[in-house]
Amino acid sequence: MPGVMTKTTPTLLSAPRLLLALGLAALPLAACSNSTSAAPGATASASAPAQAAIIVEKPWVRSTEGSKDTSMTAAFMNLTNPGDKDISVTRAESAVAGRVEVHEMVTVDGKMVMREAKNGVVVKAGKHEHLAPGGPHIMLMQLKQPLKVGEEVTVTVHFSDGSQQVLKAPVKKFTEEQDTYHTHEASTPTPQSSSPQPSTSSQPSTSLQPSATPHDDHGPSATPHKH
Amino acid sequence: MTPPDPTSRRRVLGYLGAAAAGAATAGGGVAYGLGAANRGDDRAAEARRATHRAYAPHGDHQTGIVTPTPAVTEVIALDLEPATDRAALARLMRLWTGDIESMMAGQPIPGDTAPEMAQSHVSLTVTVGFGPRVFALPGLQAQRPVGLIDIPPMVHDRLDPQWNGGDLVVIVAAEDPTSVAYASRRLVRDAESFARVRWVQQGSWRGTNSDREPVTGRNLFGQVDGTGNPQPGTQEHDDTLWARAENVPAWFVGGTQLVVRRIEMNLDTWDQITRNEQERAIGRTLDTGAPLGKEREHDELDLALTGPDGKPMIPMNAHARLSHHSQLGGRRIFRRGVNYTYPRVVDGRMVPTSGLIFLSFQADIAKQFVPMQKVLDAGDQLNDWTTAIGSAVFAMAPGWKPGEWVGQKLLR
Repeated sequence: MPGVMTKTTPTLLSAPRLLLALGLAALPLAACSNSTSAAPGATASASAPAQAAIIVEKPWVRSTEGSKDTSMTAAFMNLTNPGDKDISVTRAESAVAGRVEVHEMVTVDGKMVMREAKNGVVVKAGKHEHLAPGGPHIMLMQLKQPLKVGEEVTVTVHFSDGSQQVLKAPVKKFTEEQDTYHTHEASTPTPQSSSPQPSTSSQPSTSLQPSATPHDDHGPSATPHKH
Repeated sequence: MTPPDPTSRRRVLGYLGAAAAGAATAGGGVAYGLGAANRGDDRAAEARRATHRAYAPHGDHQTGIVTPTPAVTEVIALDLEPATDRAALARLMRLWTGDIESMMAGQPIPGDTAPEMAQSHVSLTVTVGFGPRVFALPGLQAQRPVGLIDIPPMVHDRLDPQWNGGDLVVIVAAEDPTSVAYASRRLVRDAESFARVRWVQQGSWRGTNSDREPVTGRNLFGQVDGTGNPQPGTQEHDDTLWARAENVPAWFVGGTQLVVRRIEMNLDTWDQITRNEQERAIGRTLDTGAPLGKEREHDELDLALTGPDGKPMIPMNAHARLSHHSQLGGRRIFRRGVNYTYPRVVDGRMVPTSGLIFLSFQADIAKQFVPMQKVLDAGDQLNDWTTAIGSAVFAMAPGWKPGEWVGQKLLR
């Protein structure tokens, strides 16, 4: 017989309560470091101090099915920082990608564009940060294989507190206009670089070439960035 | 126990409730119990509640089969795209499992474009099944459950192809149309790479009385509909519904078979007969649903009772008599009906269309449903006012545990 979930009390979880929830639910997982839950969409174990570690949930990776450029895609997730110190996503790696970068969103000449987040993406103490289309994300580049809808991709995310989390992220179809996250900051200086031409859906930015110069000072994802 | 004010437990965390959601995700079933432990809920009272439920998706059987029928049900049949093979179907089931686990917990799914729509305690259930053609896919031919057959043509059928068949079914049920629309859209959207929608049937049910207590509910003829279902917790209930190891491929143990019949009901001609005639057609009273000659809804039928005229109290062609297990060699089904009604505009006039989406669950369609339906087709007086216009059959996957996915044993 199906079990029945009981009501939850409607409070905005404060940090202590949140830790209580974590302690009850997540610590058993943390105890078996690097084991992963097979449940689709579930987050995997935290290998770092359980207290104040970032909570990662609902990770997913965009499928390459139907993409114009199948050499790259992005991973998205919801992050919660239950602690009292800011923590950043500093870098990530995945076996499916030759290179992985953490990207942020900035305004350039009145237009939101993406670029590599040299200092990582900050999750402020006691706050949430969503890595989502149109916002910060983890860019998976130099893909070694097409990513089919419904597959599971393992992504390891590293944080500024020294912790890391191994995520099992389902591959899903992109349901928004691709341009919303494909528009990246122009990487090749041009005469118009001070006022970049707006990208159009028919002409998405080509700045995401994995070998584009601004990224050249970064090694493959296996080599940690210095921050 | 008076049910607490539902608004008091409304989730205010919403999309930003990553923490609570994260705990639930990481801890699996553990987190579901937190609220009860804190609040000291009366679990028995909770289990009797018909509304504001938050069902856990895991178990031996899927939810949405014997769980109370909430106000809104949407049944969606899909056809596999030609390229969808066993491996692709497995990927879809993994995706759907993640979606179902998230949404039933009131959480947005990964990549949700409308995450604020996810709400807990809307009694959401999602139930997944496989149509016959799945078992024609390479690698799956030996896995077809015995008894999963299309319903043979019946004399009273007027089947319309738009309501027939399907390779997959997903039944989404909740307390309000908005919650159902949200869940259905997310599921269909995630299936886009694998399958096309074939038909959608939407229905409603009033499963509570004015005191918000669960009741059997009524179809649009006004009949109490579903009284004869075997009661959960009994041997006959389990025997009726769940496939057993000795009869089916191993993957299907704990599964059940579904017949979806779309039954048009002619309310105009039904209204033209007297109340007494209506009750004799069904074999039960209209007020309480008690068998004719008895007092209460759940009184057992006495088919031997005769009236003052010496004739059977429950006529020989009454629906309740013909469909009674004693008349069918012990065969039973578990029915879960939902009503449909909508107006069509015909030549400037509103013409109501009404009927019943008849969901019949049983362990073996060929052994249970088909013999029963043949008897009813031949003699049920209700045939005068009812016409089947759609028919489809599905093997409803067994339940799954945390960390597993629906249909895993079939498709992995």
